[in-house]
Amino acid sequence: MPRTWLMMEKSPSAGRAACAARFESVGRCLPTRRLATQELMASTRHRTRVDLERLTGIHERRVAGEDEDSLSLAAGAAADCLRRSRHRADDLQMLVSCSITKYRGGLETWLEPPMSLAVAQQVGATRAMTFDISNACAGMLTGVFVLANHIRRGEIDCGMVVSGEYISQLGRNAAKHVRNIMSPELASLTLGDAGAAAIIERAPEGVAGISVAGFTTVSEHSRLCLAYPARHDPGARMFTKSRAIQRIAIADTPLLLQEVLDAAGLAMSDIDWIIPHQTSARAIRKGMKDICGVLGGVPRNDAVVTVDQYGNTASTTHCVALVEELEAGRVRAGDRVALLALASGLEIGVILFTVDDELVSRYGDDA
Amino acid sequence: MATTLDRPAVVTGRRTVHRSARKMADRASRAAIEQAGLKSGDIDLLVNVGLYHERNLGEPALAALIQEDVGINPEDPHAGGHGSFSFDIANGGCGVLTALQVADGFLQSGVIEHALVVASDADPRHGLATGFPFSPTGAAVVCSWQEGAIGLAGFRWETAPEEGYPFRSRVSFEHGRNVLRIEKDADFDSRAAAWAAKTATSLLADRDMRPADVDLVIASPLTPAFLEGLSAHVGIGLERVLVVEGAEHVHTAALLVALASAAEQGRLRDARRALLVSAGAGMVVGAAVLVHGREVET
Repeated sequence: MPRTWLMMEKSPSAGRAACAARFESVGRCLPTRRLATQELMASTRHRTRVDLERLTGIHERRVAGEDEDSLSLAAGAAADCLRRSRHRADDLQMLVSCSITKYRGGLETWLEPPMSLAVAQQVGATRAMTFDISNACAGMLTGVFVLANHIRRGEIDCGMVVSGEYISQLGRNAAKHVRNIMSPELASLTLGDAGAAAIIERAPEGVAGISVAGFTTVSEHSRLCLAYPARHDPGARMFTKSRAIQRIAIADTPLLLQEVLDAAGLAMSDIDWIIPHQTSARAIRKGMKDICGVLGGVPRNDAVVTVDQYGNTASTTHCVALVEELEAGRVRAGDRVALLALASGLEIGVILFTVDDELVSRYGDDA
Repeated sequence: MATTLDRPAVVTGRRTVHRSARKMADRASRAAIEQAGLKSGDIDLLVNVGLYHERNLGEPALAALIQEDVGINPEDPHAGGHGSFSFDIANGGCGVLTALQVADGFLQSGVIEHALVVASDADPRHGLATGFPFSPTGAAVVCSWQEGAIGLAGFRWETAPEEGYPFRSRVSFEHGRNVLRIEKDADFDSRAAAWAAKTATSLLADRDMRPADVDLVIASPLTPAFLEGLSAHVGIGLERVLVVEGAEHVHTAALLVALASAAEQGRLRDARRALLVSAGAGMVVGAAVLVHGREVET
């Protein structure tokens, strides 16, 4: 295989990993409580003069209730994913938890034991090897990459990638500090809570599944978004240079996306859906326009946007959006979907897969 | 053909040196790459498994910062070059063994040629931890796919959440600030040893091996209670279990510290079959077989 910038795995390949992996089921868990952007901005300590809704297109986000946290959202999503799946929890041979936040029992972060073990225990995945991956908002797709590799080599037949993000509390903390549009904590006000899970399994003969997965870390930009526990408040704070990230993402993504398309033998116009990381509706539309301009082609549909309803739900955004599109019946069997990760690190990654009948059949009114 | 491990590099935080987990990880990474006879740009995948670092950073992955510091293809993508990918794995004291399995997978499938696994822990400072129990240590190892070689040959994992949580590490809001608190029950090591032995025994059975076939056990944590318990339960004499003096308080880097010690003492070279065993909070226990030497040409 010619050397690419991305660390890339392609299927089918004649190499030492002959099987294909596919998304068998995708689930999510959204808190019922909604917080409108207008309401959040009304809670800021300072008069910010920021019209966040116009700036980002985010109308509202879901926020965790008193009895919800990273673990409950992850476990809820895992249960939803299993409910739609033909697998039972004890079929899972690997369970990888990929959330940035690891809150249990409110705002207590558990570093050890790992979150994955707690999720496995809650859903009854007693046979699964468990570990956590931490890769900012690219965490879940990194987990898919790792899990798919184990499946392609025949090490395991099926596993789950899961994440629960309780991040609305960063918005609560930021509301105390944001003074104007230049605030490094402005991006914290775009966050929403969600859990997501996906079962990845060996694809049956003749099913394309995940055809290309490729990732890279452009680490000279590693310090553009940093988050850590707040000093004097419960929860965490995040400091982001959003404009720099957006500029670099637009500059760097075309070459990487082209590598994925070349590996798959496709053009941009062969892609049905691009599901980018959900930061802001405006940033997504502008970014896709610029990237498509460089690549000289557009996908068959507009980029998927769910940030308007759910905000930026960190590592769960792609799976939350995928469920949304499957539920709405917009994504159909045979569609080619590109999940595009962009995360602090700076992580850029693509997972390209073809949706099959079985996955589609798990959604809609009867599912 | 197999994933082989180069000699790990170990860095300890001496009093006079800034005890930064990231800086120890940087130094260990540079040394491991140099010991492997590689340049930093040759590393395709970097996995950090250290858990305790400055300010308890949650985002980005510490691996990205290490990648930039060490100069592992940090620049923007451009034609004719190739990049690297980095992320963190968190699996308590089993992080190194987990990362070795992940690296082994991508090496086996031909996606990468060289991976760097790095582990490092230190007090997060700024008064963020109460009674941080681990000695500041960083370690790193280069994994490569080598034709004609034999190396990592099979993993096995078990979890035992029914044991409760005899090891707990939490950041919680107390008295107006977020504080890291790490607690370990007195019997954690002995209980972990029993589970680790069970897993190691199952792995040996998978590989048609008996305890007598194992020349050396390289295990973590490096506490006497764990190593002695493991030796007794698995039926491999303590003389074949690697003990590293003064390393009982090393956390995620412990397995690499033990590997480095085995290499330094020449015991790894002399061992035809080594057993790697790790146990961590949860409980999560893992084992792997490391076969040393070259395949017989046929």
